[in-house]
Amino acid sequence: MTKKSMWSLKFSTAALVLIPAAIGINYLGKLFAELLRLPLWLDSIGTVLSSMLAGPIIGALTGIINNIIYGFTASPVSFVYAITSGVIGLVVGIMAYRGWIASIGRALVLGLVVGVIAATVSTPLNILFWGGQTGNIWGDALFATMIAHDLPLWFASFADSLAVDVPDKVATVIIGFLIFRNLPKNLTHMYDRRSEIDRL
Amino acid sequence: MKNGTFYVEKASIVHNVDPLSKLLFVFVSVAITYMLSNQPVVSGVLAFTLLLLLLGKVLHNVLPIIGLSLVLIFSIIVVQGFFHPDRSTVWFTIGSVPIYKEGFSYALLLTLRVLNMVCAFGVLILTTKPDDLVQSLIRKGMSPKIGYVLLSVLQILPQMIAATGKITDAQRARGMETEGGLSTRVKSFIPLLTPVVLNSINDTRDRSIALEIRGFNSTSERTFLHETNHFKYGFVIKILLAASLAAVIAWRIFI
Repeated sequence: MTKKSMWSLKFSTAALVLIPAAIGINYLGKLFAELLRLPLWLDSIGTVLSSMLAGPIIGALTGIINNIIYGFTASPVSFVYAITSGVIGLVVGIMAYRGWIASIGRALVLGLVVGVIAATVSTPLNILFWGGQTGNIWGDALFATMIAHDLPLWFASFADSLAVDVPDKVATVIIGFLIFRNLPKNLTHMYDRRSEIDRL
Repeated sequence: MKNGTFYVEKASIVHNVDPLSKLLFVFVSVAITYMLSNQPVVSGVLAFTLLLLLLGKVLHNVLPIIGLSLVLIFSIIVVQGFFHPDRSTVWFTIGSVPIYKEGFSYALLLTLRVLNMVCAFGVLILTTKPDDLVQSLIRKGMSPKIGYVLLSVLQILPQMIAATGKITDAQRARGMETEGGLSTRVKSFIPLLTPVVLNSINDTRDRSIALEIRGFNSTSERTFLHETNHFKYGFVIKILLAASLAAVIAWRIFI
């Protein structure tokens, strides 16, 4: 039995149909967060979950397609952040494969890393497309204060993204991890590339 | 998202243009406004995009889409207007608050660019059926499997949203609280989300079995249900778009 690389481009049907389901989970996460008036977006739980289940490539595809579909159905601004979503899927997939979802403490570290990387990828996009803001009121207030004190634009913009992304991504990865850990084994085996048991 | 996509079914010239030309238009139009920092030119591109929306009879449909970007535009005007790093020329003062000319002219430019971006995507998403766009992309060589994934999202989402109402009611009936302090609301997030996640991942198993039985993994060449291509003007539009992009790049380099 050969162990498949996490970079395998031969997707199983089960992994491909996981993508639409994960995008639905992203949308519902956002919907429930709004319903419960939580101060976070929680709109990438599905992306994180699909990366944990099916690896970095499927995770990245989920992220990119998610933002394309959002662009068509919710707000065209989300097309811009397709790259960020793709990178989130990629990072979670790689780190999950390397064992960073073995315990809740490690998942917390994973969340922090994902938050910082998401902010790093979003900052150039924010500067290029809207002069540095994120469109989030608290982050932009911080951004305005920092440039009013003559701090460099990229630094203020990065701080803006960090303030917005890190808490959200930590919460997202923790929730994704809790759901992933409690999924029945007969479901997770479908995507497990390390064994051929029950594989479709 | 509840009503599916933004597509508006109408008969117009813009609806008859092939989807890939419209996709190229979005790219070229956004690229031009971000390459040139000349307000009259950017306004001109925006005016042209609005003209296309008018020709497509969807001008009023773009308003709710712009509405979704209002927070961002407002933030651009406030932050860049008051705090732009190159603030030196005081334009006028409101009370004791100085308004800087550089900041506002930059804010105006960014607002025009964002409006153009939203409207250009509006041309694509208001006048193009997602099925047609995906089919055109598959004809150009995109994997039919990715095409299936793109379109099935639009089918699965309404089903999942319908399921959430049931789950919320069921969990409330079992005593879950969705109102109250922050910690109460945080605690109800997991019981709301987990059933949908389990359901949808369970469904993927059935769906993948159904797909495999119908030859989803077949390697033979795919054929199309509708072979005829009823879209017009594709070639001319693509040439014009490519030429204008090339002209703008040349302008940027030589002038």
